[in-house]
This record gives sequence, structure tokens and C-alpha cells, in this order.
Amino acid sequence: MSRLLTVLVLLAASAAAQVSNDDLLRAGERPGDWLTYNGDYSGLRHSGLAELTPENVSSLRIKWVFQTKTTQKFETTPLVFDGAMYITVPPNDVFALDAESGVVLWRYSRNLPPNLIACCGLVNRGLAALGDRLFMATLDSHVVALDRKTGRVLWDREMFDYKQGYAATLAPLIVKDKVLVGVAGGEYGIRGFVEAYGIEDGKRAWRFYTSPGPGEFGNDTWADDSWKTGGASIWVTPSYDPESNLVYWGVGNPGPDWNGDVRKGDNLFSDSVVAVDADTGKRKWHFQFTPHDVHDWDAVQVMVLLDKKWEGRDRKLLVTANRNGFYYVLDRLTGEFLHGSPFVKQTWAKGLDENGRPILEPGKAPSEEGVHVYPMVAGGTNWMSPTYSPKTGLYYVSCREGGSMYYKGPAEYRPGTRYWGSMFMNDEVQDDWYGAVRALDPLTGKKVWEHKLFSPAWAGLISTAGGLVFAGTEEGYFKALDAGTGKELWRINLGGRIIANPISFESKGRQNMAIAAGSSLFVFARP
Amino acid sequence: MRGILLLAAFAAALIPALLPAQSQPTNPFSSKADFEEGRHLYRLNCGVCHGLEGKSGRGARLALHEHRRGNTDAELFAVIQNGVPGTDMPGLWLDEDEIWKVLLVVRSFEVDAGAACEARPGEAAKGKELYYQKGACSSCHTIGMGGGRLGPDLTAIGSNYDREQLRTALLEPSKDVAARYKAVRVVHRGKSVEGALMKEDGYTLHLMDREENLHSFSKSELETIEKPEESLMPAYGSLISGSDLDDLLAYMCTLTGNASEEPSE
Repeated sequence: MSRLLTVLVLLAASAAAQVSNDDLLRAGERPGDWLTYNGDYSGLRHSGLAELTPENVSSLRIKWVFQTKTTQKFETTPLVFDGAMYITVPPNDVFALDAESGVVLWRYSRNLPPNLIACCGLVNRGLAALGDRLFMATLDSHVVALDRKTGRVLWDREMFDYKQGYAATLAPLIVKDKVLVGVAGGEYGIRGFVEAYGIEDGKRAWRFYTSPGPGEFGNDTWADDSWKTGGASIWVTPSYDPESNLVYWGVGNPGPDWNGDVRKGDNLFSDSVVAVDADTGKRKWHFQFTPHDVHDWDAVQVMVLLDKKWEGRDRKLLVTANRNGFYYVLDRLTGEFLHGSPFVKQTWAKGLDENGRPILEPGKAPSEEGVHVYPMVAGGTNWMSPTYSPKTGLYYVSCREGGSMYYKGPAEYRPGTRYWGSMFMNDEVQDDWYGAVRALDPLTGKKVWEHKLFSPAWAGLISTAGGLVFAGTEEGYFKALDAGTGKELWRINLGGRIIANPISFESKGRQNMAIAAGSSLFVFARP
Repeated sequence: MRGILLLAAFAAALIPALLPAQSQPTNPFSSKADFEEGRHLYRLNCGVCHGLEGKSGRGARLALHEHRRGNTDAELFAVIQNGVPGTDMPGLWLDEDEIWKVLLVVRSFEVDAGAACEARPGEAAKGKELYYQKGACSSCHTIGMGGGRLGPDLTAIGSNYDREQLRTALLEPSKDVAARYKAVRVVHRGKSVEGALMKEDGYTLHLMDREENLHSFSKSELETIEKPEESLMPAYGSLISGSDLDDLLAYMCTLTGNASEEPSE
């Protein structure tokens, strides 16, 4: 009897330590853990932990550091549960670390083929977890399931032939019994798609092409056969609304990037958010931020899902600050455009019409001589995560102020090679470039405060229930701001560029902050 | 696509280790089509730094008969594949065939290249004297192991720049100042300090003054920060002109990065 009891208790403990679908649905109620890339399904990147406050954050200290050997950009968002932290390290290694001490528990090192094709580095942004499994999308365009206790490979599926320019860099998303992923490669003339694999068997459940083929909705927005090499890649984790069962994918640029002549039309679903049914992969609606993009303004920002009163009635909203320089409010059940306004300097559009379609300024498309346009190629913001704080009711975004010269060049498609439609651009930092963490009113997009950064940053944000927003900079500073006012309260120089999103978790009763910087992962807590 | 433009150098840094070495000692490609493909790749990968004709001055000059890092196909292949450590030249993540095709383009620059920098007219020996004496160039510039650190290292200046580019640099030094050598002037506790901007971030500013002293400031303690457009280098037209200028240019053209080129003040 007592043995049975022991077994039952052990089973219960083991089950509690696992990540269940219920945990994912209620991630906000388990603030001690960090269970998904965005921290929750709504994309808030908000921590419910309130130990750190404006009053005590200045006593934050480095608790441990995990040094990797990577010379690539270190973009991981860690997952933390059951006392362990799980991170990816470029190119496709996975480390399980003791969350309290940083000691390595196990390592999975993927044997990758040579000649990987990736526009912007051999990077990876993190893992997904369910049960006792971890999931990683890989640079050779596979999805891998690992045993989270040992790192053993449970299954390994090819998404597409990496030699044709397909890769994967995003952290997957778990919805029910499926792991959701998408393919990168928008600079190599891929045909973008998102797809779902069964958690248990790794069988593909569905695939949705973000560059639609004949007979599919949107195919007529691509001239001739240009949809075949249309890009529309996926490289950032989507948000999910359990109530409507819709997954919100931010879709990348059309290919070739800067020469649109070979792909006349709007080029759906490039630069769009597409709401896809999580069970079937069927599109419910889409909204295209930048039709027929020729500036490389991927819509890869994390879509933030909010329930708010809009003109007197409760609405399910989706808000996003887009790379094209505009902030948008949409109805997330229908895709209806509710509001759009610039959040950084932009010179390419006169504004948005009543449907949210940009009204173009003439002469702002790339040319052989080059044309100077705001925002810069990297956009008014980029893939780094925004955050929303239920405590302050504000939306926070890391902004990139400045313009670029945009050049157009030949666009000839050859499988597995860069399909840019431009020369490699000389885009040195300009004198008027700067970065800023901005707090926006989520309904109007109006700036409530800003904290200026020396240069445009690649680091994402997190808000905490203690009233803080954490941010990172290109110069390597990790800092805490007052969520209500933007006042800087604490900072530390970590000695390397921060190209990652922060998280928060609890260990031994203390609130910890974690961020990747340079080639190391840093964890902070009060002494 | 993310900031390809800013990040490609980082992206390329690791990849050469994953690539196989070239399997052939000499370039197996030679056709017109191969060349055209190479030119396409060159424009994408190399043109920004090296220029479309291989003589931009920003990256190493390619329009040369004698390359600094080797002249055989195998040596040049290795440079393209692996990059040059300690410089801004990254290895390229091209496959072997593509590297050979890029090399065809590099070779095409050698035809009619001449010397990067024509050593005539002028007498290099006289120019050397001017460099060290009247011009006092070595107070700010280094050749080999000797000289100042305020301005750019000139050890290999003659292989990267042609005579006209050097003439412009001497007569109109403010026309194009490399980022690392921009001037900055700050006022700290009422005292003005001027020099080359070494590093700046949101909180700190670091400069090297004309005596090569390093100054590190907390920005909150600076009363003003000015960044004049003018170079810290004086325009040399009034000091050195006519045949003197030819002599100095002739000397600079001999500076091709050889270790034997040591200062002899």
C-alpha cells in the first residue's frame, strides 16, 4: 500500500513538473515558469512576478552566467520549468541547465550538413515544450522532438529540402496535440509555409502555404509563376487565441526583396498577419500591412492579443507595431482594420486608407540609383518582442529610427542562392539613427513616453507585475525602466550585443531575469 | 529579412569552418557563363567593400597583379572562403563552385590593372624625407611598427589606394573620414578636449587626443559634445605642393605592406 502511494505521489510529482496543455493555456497563472517563447499564447511577454519593483531593482545582481562558444548571434528565449532552463545555442544545440546554478545537465548537439543557407546568421530563437518533450526547428529545415530529461531524439522530420534555401529559426508553438512551425528563406526564393506536426508521432497534420498556388486564395496576387519563389517566410513564433482557435502568423517579405517587377500584384500573404485554424491549417482571415512590398518589411513582429473596449463595446483585438513604421489595431476574429498610425518616422506612405491599405508616396520604391526612405531596411521595429503590461495598460516596443538607401538590381532566381533583386547594400549607420523604447496607448498608438537608446536595438522587451520594463541595447546594456514613466532605474553592461528577448522566472523563491548577450546567457536576481 | 546589411559580416564569420577546402589547385571554371555568374555573385557579396571594379579603397584593392595575401588560385580561393582574420574581410558562405566563379571576376580586374598606385612622377626617397620631416606624418600615422596612432595605419596604403585617391586625402582630408577617425570635441568641467572619437554609447564617450592620451567620460558630466565635420588631419596643400607633393605621393605608393618597410627616422 505504501509503495503504491509512493508511486502515485511520484507520478503526480512528475506530472506536475511536466508542461501540460492546461499549463500553456494558463501560463499567466504560473509566473514562476516561462513555458513558451512569448510567455503566453497572447504574445504579451509579461511576467506576473512582482518581487522586483522600481524601489528595489537597483539591487539586481548577476547570479550566474552560461558561456557558449558561439560566434553567431545568440537569440535564444529560454524556457524554464521544473527547476531547469532549456536554451538553444547556435547553430542548433540545446542545453538543459539547472535554473538555480546554471550548471549543464545535458546537451544535444545537432550534426548539421555543411553549406547551410541562412541570410542573417546561423541562429535559433528557442524551443517549445509539452509533456516531457522539447521541440526545435532547425537550420537544415527539420523539426526535432527531444526528451527534456536526457536530450534524446524522439523524432526528427524534414520540413523541406534545405538545399533549396529553406531553413527554420523560430521557436515552435504548441497548440493542443500539435507543434506548429514555419520556414525561413525569404531571401532565397522559397515558397513559404506554416505547418503542424503531431506531438507524439511527428506526423505532418497540415500545411498552409503563405505563398498560395493555383486554385488557392491569393494566387492571383502574384504575376505569372512568381508565387513559386515568392518568399513569404515565417521566422517568428505566432500568437494563439484558444477561444477562436486561431493562430496569428506574422509573414515575411516577398521575394525578391527589392525588385518587385517580377512579382507584380499584392503578393499575398507576404507582409501580412494570417489567422489560421490551429486544427486544420485553414485560413480564416488575413490582413496585409505592406501590399507588394519592395523595402523588405517582413511582418514578423509578435502579434499581441488584447481584450479591450473599442468605441464602447468589448472587442477581441490584435495589435502590432509593424516593420513598415505603422502601428495597427485589428479585430482578431475578423481581421477588420480599426486603427493605424505611424510610431516612427516614415516617408513612404501618405497614410492608410479606411481599410488600412497604405496610400503610397510616389518615388519611394528602390531604384538603381538608390532612394532614401524612412524607416530603414531593418524597419521601425523588427522581430524583437514587444510587451504589454496589464498593470499599466501600455504597449511597449523597441523602435528603430532612421532611413536607408534602397537599391534595385537584377532578380534572377537560382535555387539555393540569394534572390534579393538588389546589390548588397552599403547601409552604414547614419547620423540621425537612434533607438527608443516607446510606451504606446494600445488603442490609439499614441506615444505615452519614450526612453531613447544610443542606436537602434535588436533586443526585445518584457514587462513585469512589479511595474518594470526590461530592455537591451546594441552596446550591450541590459536595463530596467519604470513601466509607468520610462525612467531608467538600473543598468549593467554585459559586454556584447543583445539580440534576444528577456524572460523572468522564479527560483528558490526569488524572481530571476534572464537575457542572452554576446555569446553568454546571464541570469540576475537580488542577493 | 532581418538587417542583412548590418549583420552579414557576423553571419559569415563562422561558416567557413563548415565548408570543405577546395578540391582543386586551380580554377576549373573559365567560360563566359561562369564569369557572368561570378559577376552576379561578386556584385552581391563583394562589391560594397571592394567596388565594382575592385578599386574602391574601402576593402583591399583587387585590381592588382600582386595580391597581398597570395597570388595562386588556391591562395585566393582560401582568402575568399575563410576571410582574413583581423580585418573586415569575412569568409563567404558560397559553395566551392561559386567561389571559383568569383575568383574569375577578381582575376579579370588584374588585366590592365597596372600598379594600384603609380610611383611616378616623383622621387620616393625625397618623399620619405618629407613624410618624416616637413610633413610630420608619422606623428599621427603608423608604417610598420613605428608612428602615431591617431590617424589610419599607412603600412599598406599604396596597395589599396591609387594616386588620385591619395592626393585627395592629402589635399582634402575632410572629404571622406573613416568612421573610426572622426573628430569630436567635448567640454568637461569647463575644459575643452578634442581628438578622435574612439567609442561612444548611451552613457560614455572615449576619445584619443592629439598627444595620444585616452580620455573616458561619463556623458552626464559633459557640458557639450560636438562632432565637427572636419578631419583632425590638416589639409597639406599649403605645406607640401608641386614637386614635393609628387615626391610624397611617390613614397606613399611604395607602401605596400611589406614587413621590410620600417621607419628610419
